[in-house]
Amino acid sequence: MEKKEATIALGTDNIWKLLLQYAIPSVIAMTASSLYNITDSIFIGQGVGALAISGLAITFPLMNLGAAFGSLVGVGAATLMSLRLGQKDYTTANRILGNVFILNLILGISYSIIVLTFLDPILYFFGASEATLPYAHDYMEIISIGNLITHMYLGLNALLRATGKPQKAMLTTLLSVAINAILTPIFIYGLNWGIKGAAFATMLAQTAMLIWQINIFCNKNNIIRLKKSAFRLKRRIVFDSLSIGLSPFSMNATACVIIIIINQTLTRHGGDLAVGAYGIINRVAFLFVMIVLGLNQGMQPIAGYNYGARQTSRVYAVLRHTILLATGVMLLGFIMGEFTPRAIASIFTPEKNLIDIAAGGLKIVFICFPIVGFQIVTSNFFQSIGKAGKAIYLSLTRQVLFLLPCLLIFPSIWGVNGVWASIPAADLLASINAGYLLYREYKKTKK
Amino acid sequence: MTGKYYINIGRQIGSGGLEIGKKLAQHLNITCYDRQLIEIASKESGVGKEFFEKADEKDSYSIFSGMFGMRSSLINQVYTNYFLSNENLFQIQSNVIHKLAEKRSCIFVGRCADYVLKETPNCLNIFISANKNDRTKRLAELQHISENNALHFMEKMDKKRAAYYNYFSNKTWGAAESYHICINSSLLGIDETVQTILHIAKKKMCL
Repeated sequence: MEKKEATIALGTDNIWKLLLQYAIPSVIAMTASSLYNITDSIFIGQGVGALAISGLAITFPLMNLGAAFGSLVGVGAATLMSLRLGQKDYTTANRILGNVFILNLILGISYSIIVLTFLDPILYFFGASEATLPYAHDYMEIISIGNLITHMYLGLNALLRATGKPQKAMLTTLLSVAINAILTPIFIYGLNWGIKGAAFATMLAQTAMLIWQINIFCNKNNIIRLKKSAFRLKRRIVFDSLSIGLSPFSMNATACVIIIIINQTLTRHGGDLAVGAYGIINRVAFLFVMIVLGLNQGMQPIAGYNYGARQTSRVYAVLRHTILLATGVMLLGFIMGEFTPRAIASIFTPEKNLIDIAAGGLKIVFICFPIVGFQIVTSNFFQSIGKAGKAIYLSLTRQVLFLLPCLLIFPSIWGVNGVWASIPAADLLASINAGYLLYREYKKTKK
Repeated sequence: MTGKYYINIGRQIGSGGLEIGKKLAQHLNITCYDRQLIEIASKESGVGKEFFEKADEKDSYSIFSGMFGMRSSLINQVYTNYFLSNENLFQIQSNVIHKLAEKRSCIFVGRCADYVLKETPNCLNIFISANKNDRTKRLAELQHISENNALHFMEKMDKKRAAYYNYFSNKTWGAAESYHICINSSLLGIDETVQTILHIAKKKMCL
């Protein structure tokens, strides 16, 4: 009954009210998870050194790939889980939980073994130098050993959300950010563990949260809980969840490849500090993009419902509002990046050289930020109204299709600045492209 | 008669399953829901009919469609249940089935009703098949197409229905263990099949 009332509200309530109601929780969750990365970078940059930040930046793609494997299982399983729960099919739902557990175990351990065996060659390939390798190695070694925990933690968090406990999932995210933010400075400054301290803090925070999650899922009062009998892998569950998870996985994996190319190019043209500067820029840019992704999640049910109900004016109203908010967020990033780039960079590092490069980069990379919000919202809008193909395409234009050619051409002309310039160039082209597709869609629905 | 009862029919296309459902409904004086379910679901939820129809037409839930059909969120680690996703539309239809079943006895053709109503007592779940020749003939006649086209269409529909049922019900379409009765309508013809099912239904539901 409750569900139905919520559905009706989607078609009648004030759009601003609905949008804020749906978006605020996801914006908080998204901000929290990017703060996690930012605090790690800050403590490493301030407490360990400029080269350590470069070393950390080298590990980004590896870390993301690990998370991508987590989403391969987690996202699909969460979709299946909510389908089964909607049908009150608790036997299958429990099976899904047990299967996720085992799948993560297998994937997590395999990933660790592969990464640990080839760690140094991988890091060199990703753009590490003699100077940055020790940092990247030390950090990644611990993260890889704990990879299984990360997988489990992310996978179970997705299921926690799907089983109707979004507050608990959110609390888990926030707590892990908090624990990490407390432990990292203790390990780095107090115990002098260097970059390893940051990795240890991350692992400890995730371990604590994993124990908490397992505790929730073992609770006898829960309908969905871990049972021994559910651990045997079922072909259909494995197949279905992997097939659903494949699209977020491949998007994440593609993003990793792009970061590898950026890091490699930067190493070639600007050396280790340029890589470190990218590490800083990437973290800051990510914060703003994540907030916009949170807004998107709020827009999704409102746009989806009203599109289905053919309330076109409400569909475009929510799109306009979301674009407005997203542009506001990105405009804030633009202002900070253009007018206070040195202040932002110096949060991460005391080293003057690194601040110089990062500040210069921020100015270039953030130049198209005022229109990027529009691009990201539009591509998600297409997914919300069930046009997944266009959404994938638009997402790829900004992150791959337009970016890759720029990345291959610009740096050979302008060096490091060419790498920075590729990003806003791709943003601009992708935004124009998104505007065109949206215009066509708008014309079609008007008819 | 003791309370409400339900007959859920799964069927191969061209097997006469819908006709059997309608005839059963006439004999028992209850309603048979087939495609009307989509219309009711559309009216109840406000979501246009064509969205439900589109979800129906999906022919596979395979790796490939997972990759390009984007059945989930693009965003790293974030699980989002998209409003217009097939999963959500299935849920809306299921709610309609539950609602109709609450009010009166009925016959449901398709839509995984047997799975949706698995916790509801007094269900008889039937699967109707037929010989290939009979099916093509029937289809060609009903749709005014050549038998060759009918055969082609039939194979496509079988695949779609199996994919839909297997994904949403987590059981196997057309497999004996998924139903109470599996019957080949070519064996006795439509009317005799109806009589046979009636006989079993009356026994099981104590009508």
